Amino acid sequence: MSVRVVVRTFSELCITVGAVIVLFVVYVLFWTGVKADTAMDDQIAQLEEQWAKGSASAGPGDPGSARGPGAAAPKAVAYEDGRPFAVMYIPRLGFTWNKPVLEGTRTKTLKKGLGHYASTARLGEPGNFAVAGHRRTYGDPFKDFPRLRPGDPVVLTDGTSWFTYRIDTRPYRTLPDDTAVVDPVPEKSGYTREGRYLTLTTCDPEWGHSHRLIVWAHLDETQPVEAGKPKALRR
Amino acid sequence: MYGFIWRHLPGNTWIKALISLVLVLATVYVLFQYVFPWAEPLLPFNDVTVDNQ
Repeated sequence: MSVRVVVRTFSELCITVGAVIVLFVVYVLFWTGVKADTAMDDQIAQLEEQWAKGSASAGPGDPGSARGPGAAAPKAVAYEDGRPFAVMYIPRLGFTWNKPVLEGTRTKTLKKGLGHYASTARLGEPGNFAVAGHRRTYGDPFKDFPRLRPGDPVVLTDGTSWFTYRIDTRPYRTLPDDTAVVDPVPEKSGYTREGRYLTLTTCDPEWGHSHRLIVWAHLDETQPVEAGKPKALRR
Repeated sequence: MYGFIWRHLPGNTWIKALISLVLVLATVYVLFQYVFPWAEPLLPFNDVTVDNQ
């Protein structure tokens, strides 16, 4: 084989590898976002359909019963792994920012929305309702996480109630193995008593994985969906 | 490498060009559909939890 053939084949291989790397960057930066947006819209549509069906079939269960903060809905079914059960709104991240919350924090689950730590409390109930989300790629749901400030509302709905949480801390930077941040009463959060808390986690720095960013919030208000959107979501 | 493929494609230049295009598109499809979804979790962007589940 002549030197010419070897050199030519080698350069062609280099060009090919370069092209594949460029394609991979396009995939990570752009295509995962396209796929995630479709998947999240799909999850929200599924939820809405489920809720519409649920309220139609369950009918007027107990219309008069005013629900206290998080008083468990009578038909509290266990969250199903990998399935959506709530929608989250954070006006600080954009007025139209809304993402489905799925059960579990597996890689596969987090591609379709935010993930609820299965070992933590249920939405609106006593304890710590902890949720993880991507900072970058897969739709960049928590891209602007560092902009969250104390007092910002985090609103969730499970189809029967609106839960408005208020953030109490600035984003707190910690190490990836600091599982204490999702404890029922997280030590670093400043909370001293048991309560109904919310923890959001994402990665830090933006494109890295050396640290995690955390914010904590407490349940501020609860209202049934029939009462309309909570104040935090009205303009 | 590419010269070798080109020489072994059947037909005249136009048909060769067409087949090449199809081959390129098929490669991109396989990459986006199978290879990249496999490779992407190996990068650090997925580590957003505190317990690494």
